[in-house]
Amino acid sequence: MSSPSDADVIGRSLAEPEAFAAIYDRHAETTLRFLGRRVGAEAAEGLHGELFRIAFERRKTFDGSRASALPWLYGIASNLLRKHRRSEGRRLRASARMAAVHELADRRAHASASAAALDAHALFPRVADAIDSLPEGEREALLLFAWEELSYQHVADALELPIGTVRSRLSRARARLRELLGERGKERVRSR
Amino acid sequence: MKPIDLAKKLRRDAASDPAVLDRGRAKLMAQIQRESEVRSQPTIIPQLPYHDLRAALEFLERAFGFREIPTSRVEDERGVVGHAMMEFGANGVIGLGGHGGHSALSPKVDGVVSQYLSVYVPDVEAHYEHARAAGARIVMGLRDQFWGDRTYEALDLEGHRWRFHQKIREVPQEKWNWSSTDPDKP
Repeated sequence: MSSPSDADVIGRSLAEPEAFAAIYDRHAETTLRFLGRRVGAEAAEGLHGELFRIAFERRKTFDGSRASALPWLYGIASNLLRKHRRSEGRRLRASARMAAVHELADRRAHASASAAALDAHALFPRVADAIDSLPEGEREALLLFAWEELSYQHVADALELPIGTVRSRLSRARARLRELLGERGKERVRSR
Repeated sequence: MKPIDLAKKLRRDAASDPAVLDRGRAKLMAQIQRESEVRSQPTIIPQLPYHDLRAALEFLERAFGFREIPTSRVEDERGVVGHAMMEFGANGVIGLGGHGGHSALSPKVDGVVSQYLSVYVPDVEAHYEHARAAGARIVMGLRDQFWGDRTYEALDLEGHRWRFHQKIREVPQEKWNWSSTDPDKP
């Protein structure tokens, strides 16, 4: 026997609220990890509680034609994250430092040039700044796509946008990243 | 390196603690429970008359812990509240209406109480302390009743009489002892 879809479960929870617990059991690990990536473990706990409080309250508005509730949960979480831009920025910069360290270790293991390793220290903070400075909608689409590995369709569901808009946001985000990385790279070279 | 791949390199998982998931689940279940409770519609709802509904709503919330049902309030264009409802506990609901409506009179002026209301609370001693501190007039202190409840009685700001109860022990009916000296006995 196949288990009921999220849409079935949420539909049933309208009359039997307890049924909604299954949505938590299916997705909470994923959504908590998502929030942890974005704002760190400590802030994630509070936001995660808020996420499921809102999801339960708004379960009537869930579009029953969508089998999985996960994109919908991502969407609610993305909205909650808006108030946490500052801690996101801090976390991005800390992640950049870590990424540089890992990159360095990787390259040492592969005995590549130390000049390339030095670059990593300069590169990742620029990536962090570039992501942080993307317009809200583009950053959100980019991170759902790149970090959460959602399909275009699921990013569209999460952000309640037409899929075409998601495509154009992602391509703008790519272009802006390329541009920002390129420009700052040149600046850095000039300032030496 | 492509921009998306660079962005991926900054993905960093936070430490995940299973206790966080458990706490989150417990919180959600409590919320679900509250909603289930609210959904059980009471079949009898006392309607109490007040001269000043706003003051009554404020007092009943502050002193007794009732909550106004947000969607229930009826207000005219001058902001005068004509009717409102409050809930308490699993499915306790009261209505508050104006003095004189449906021939029901507030005891504030007329001094007559034609009924008192019994309310079950989880911790009657804490409730007593809280209500007293909030200015409720205690008309009968805490006492243990022969049928197993601990109770106290208080007047609200217009003189409606409330009796708060907590079941503290099981007493079989054959052991009930309603003595002639019982102050509750008329």
